[in-house]
Amino acid sequence: MNQHLSGAAKTLPRKSDGLTGVFFALPHLVLFATFVLAPVAYGIYISLFRWHVLAKAHPFVGLENYSAALSDDIFWIALRNTVYFVVLVVPLGNLVSLGLALALSSVRRWGTFYKIVYYLPVVISIAVVVVLWRWIYNTEIGLLNLYLGSVVGALRGIGLPLPPFEPLPWLSNPSWVMPSLAMLTVWWTAGGNMVLYLAGLGTIGDDYYEAASIDGANAWQRFWAITWPLLRPTTLFCLVFSVLGAFQVFGQSYVMFTAVQGGPVSGPARSGLTLALYMYLQGFRQYEIGYGAAIAYLLFAIVLGLTIVQFRLLSGQSEAKS
Amino acid sequence: MRNLLRRSQLGLHLPMMLAALLFLGPLLWMLSTAFKAPADIISGLGSAQWIPQPATTENFRNVMGKAEEFPIWRWTANSLFVSLAVTFLVLVVDSLAAFAYSRLRWHGRDKVFALLVATMLVPGQVLLIPTYLLIRQLGLFDTYGALIFPASASAFGVFLLRQFFLTIPMELEEAARLDGCGPLGIMRHVILPLSKPALATLGIFTFMGTWNAFEGPLLFTDSTLMRTLPVGITIFQGRYNIEYGPLMAAAALAAIPVTIAFLVFQRHIIKGISLTGLAGR
Repeated sequence: MNQHLSGAAKTLPRKSDGLTGVFFALPHLVLFATFVLAPVAYGIYISLFRWHVLAKAHPFVGLENYSAALSDDIFWIALRNTVYFVVLVVPLGNLVSLGLALALSSVRRWGTFYKIVYYLPVVISIAVVVVLWRWIYNTEIGLLNLYLGSVVGALRGIGLPLPPFEPLPWLSNPSWVMPSLAMLTVWWTAGGNMVLYLAGLGTIGDDYYEAASIDGANAWQRFWAITWPLLRPTTLFCLVFSVLGAFQVFGQSYVMFTAVQGGPVSGPARSGLTLALYMYLQGFRQYEIGYGAAIAYLLFAIVLGLTIVQFRLLSGQSEAKS
Repeated sequence: MRNLLRRSQLGLHLPMMLAALLFLGPLLWMLSTAFKAPADIISGLGSAQWIPQPATTENFRNVMGKAEEFPIWRWTANSLFVSLAVTFLVLVVDSLAAFAYSRLRWHGRDKVFALLVATMLVPGQVLLIPTYLLIRQLGLFDTYGALIFPASASAFGVFLLRQFFLTIPMELEEAARLDGCGPLGIMRHVILPLSKPALATLGIFTFMGTWNAFEGPLLFTDSTLMRTLPVGITIFQGRYNIEYGPLMAAAALAAIPVTIAFLVFQRHIIKGISLTGLAGR
């Protein structure tokens, strides 16, 4: 990141191009100012008003929406669910991605085939992914319970003292909801980070491993002595962006619960309620768009704080390396 | 890394094949269900039947036959048109801007660029409510403009292309200038031809990202005819709550075009991610 930012000054050997430069940048700047910059500022403004979409007047309330959110039990439920989701998805997802990348970097044949297969879910829309997994998670006739049932049946068949299989309520029992959403998210996103880990592994020279092999190090020792420390910048980069992405989880809950008619909008006992979904429900179902904007900015503050902490770690690491 | 597990290639292929089944399985199950008769889907109770017997296109006909309520072709056309329009707009606008930030000198340039980069850390969710209100105020709500312009405004492509343009030697540009090229000529004859890999990466990612976009199209449109495929699928699900046959047929129809695009361009895509650090989010 630092290196990207500081590369600017080198290409300025001649006089100013004056208005030409502005002219070239302008089309993007117009779009950017209208649909990125203005919304960022406008969102803060909206969050300071009691802004009901259908009301004629929007009274200024200062920070009331923020203090209301912080004393709103449902906000805390949403925050707790979101943090739980992040804690499930980020470590598990990165572990899977790293495992797949290590396997890919070691395999000699069919590497491209595996890579394509592992990456395939990444290119599919969250809406499709969730509609599909809602079917797989079906308690009575879903694929997952069918196979779990057969595995338990087979284990009982060879004499293991297991209780008979009870179909797991993946989406109807509140305590299973976040793990279920986390599992489909790992399936959906693991291929993305896998490719980044693979690129990181590619930058580690073979000579390190050869030297270690000559010294008699086994695969396990080589991983901890060479791969893990040298891969650290990639690991931290993937962690930063996994956290950023996971905190914004919306489509999983929305498609699974909110878009389904007749059921509870945020899952059984609000177990699928995330911060982004709560923002949506307040802003677009209750029409309390000022309150929704305040929730969005609280989400932003949390994510920004975490990102800064992690970037500190990231730059601290790369300085230590060079 | 290649040496880490050199000896046990078979021990490597077994878990990798198992993982491949786990990643591919749900997608194959979607296809399998889409071709099953409704009775077969329910009578699958107790055993997973992967090959539909008999295979039927009834679910697909069911999905396509309700054009009034679920105009799936219109949704597909919307998705295609919007994705192409955003991709075209992003490539043109971002390459012009990236040229301005990497090759032209103008007052305030680096400050503006720092601002662009800083906004890349703003979560997309934060922009949704204010963008929704802006779109209403601009009279763009429920139009193609609402689907295209906000999706084309990100700083990411500018950042990506600028990094690439900076690696092109200045000497080439100087030679073109001596030949009498202006900035536009230099961009057309020197920079763009040498940047095809970066442009291809940005183009493919923009296309796939727009095709799959969910929150924006959900909030910035509301008539059935203006929906895109991903949002359309959820409308479909609202009606066919647990009729998994038609649901999987619709899901497959939405997933197939982007899957084909991925298989055709997979080399570019996977190389592009490692080049840009973009993990397809």
